[in-house]
Amino acid sequence: MRTYIQWVGQQSLVNMAGVGFRGLARALCKANGSGVRALLPGCRAASGVTKDSLPGGFPETPEERAAAAKKYNIRVEDYEPYPDKGEGYGDYPKLPDRSQHERDPWYSWDHPDLRRNWGEPIHWNFDMFIRNRVDTSPSPVSWSTMCKQLFGFVGFMLFMFYVGEKLPSYQPVAPKQYPFNDLYLENGGDPEKQPEEVKNYEI
Amino acid sequence: MADYREAPLATRPKTLDPNEYFNISPEHRRVEQERAAIRANLKRQYQTQLNNPLRRELIEDPALTRWVYARTNPYPHFRPTFKTSLLGILFGVAPLFGLYYIFKTDRNRKEEQIKAGTLQRRFSLAT
Repeated sequence: MRTYIQWVGQQSLVNMAGVGFRGLARALCKANGSGVRALLPGCRAASGVTKDSLPGGFPETPEERAAAAKKYNIRVEDYEPYPDKGEGYGDYPKLPDRSQHERDPWYSWDHPDLRRNWGEPIHWNFDMFIRNRVDTSPSPVSWSTMCKQLFGFVGFMLFMFYVGEKLPSYQPVAPKQYPFNDLYLENGGDPEKQPEEVKNYEI
Repeated sequence: MADYREAPLATRPKTLDPNEYFNISPEHRRVEQERAAIRANLKRQYQTQLNNPLRRELIEDPALTRWVYARTNPYPHFRPTFKTSLLGILFGVAPLFGLYYIFKTDRNRKEEQIKAGTLQRRFSLAT
């Protein structure tokens, strides 16, 4: 989804999909408001979405909770916002961390590749939980077993290679031995002179 | 279906959950009916729009709009707390100074070696 927000000049963000040239001009001129508020666009979006159907701040009162649950198409008792720790979630609902792999493959979803129905609330990390990516289906063995097996094997191999570096073992080798007194004649020795005896064996 | 054993890589489907069969209370049924009602309402809305012969445009999904809006606009709800500041420093500030320091000392050491003539240029591709 492309966003229609542009940086204009130095400081002010302007909503290019906004309504009217006046909004554009106004946003260009004013940048009052402190901090982040100065960068928010000064005009409204041109699509059919209204302001109260968009996510808002953390719901404090039960009425706000009920309104937020209705907005997100969730039951009021099922609606659970993320804890308000200033992490930027607002009133977005906290859905269970289940990947799309776990959903029924045989049900007739509205969007079969995403295994999702139209209008269903989307998990915050939905793009992580699609079927090409993270899979939270149950694994054959538990997480601790998997970790132990993997790191155990890798650690063992690293340790053994380290030991092999420190304590190498080779086939025993010796310098090559040549017959005929180290090939005295072939190496250009004088045929008249008697070469010194080279003894390459021990009996 | 009483002897259904879970496949190794799949969660137990909701229709085969034993709680659906053995622990049914009217409360549980009512809750499930409410959820089904919400789902059916959304299905009806979608199907109406989908099968409308006079429709020319794409069907807009408000849940998708809300998700995109929530993901792209976390800044109004951001508050500097201990945890968020710590994360910001850890991922934004520390790598900056840390990597600068690491690269600079490594480059200085290499420069010293080049000047002293002790640098070993291994992995040469020519001969």
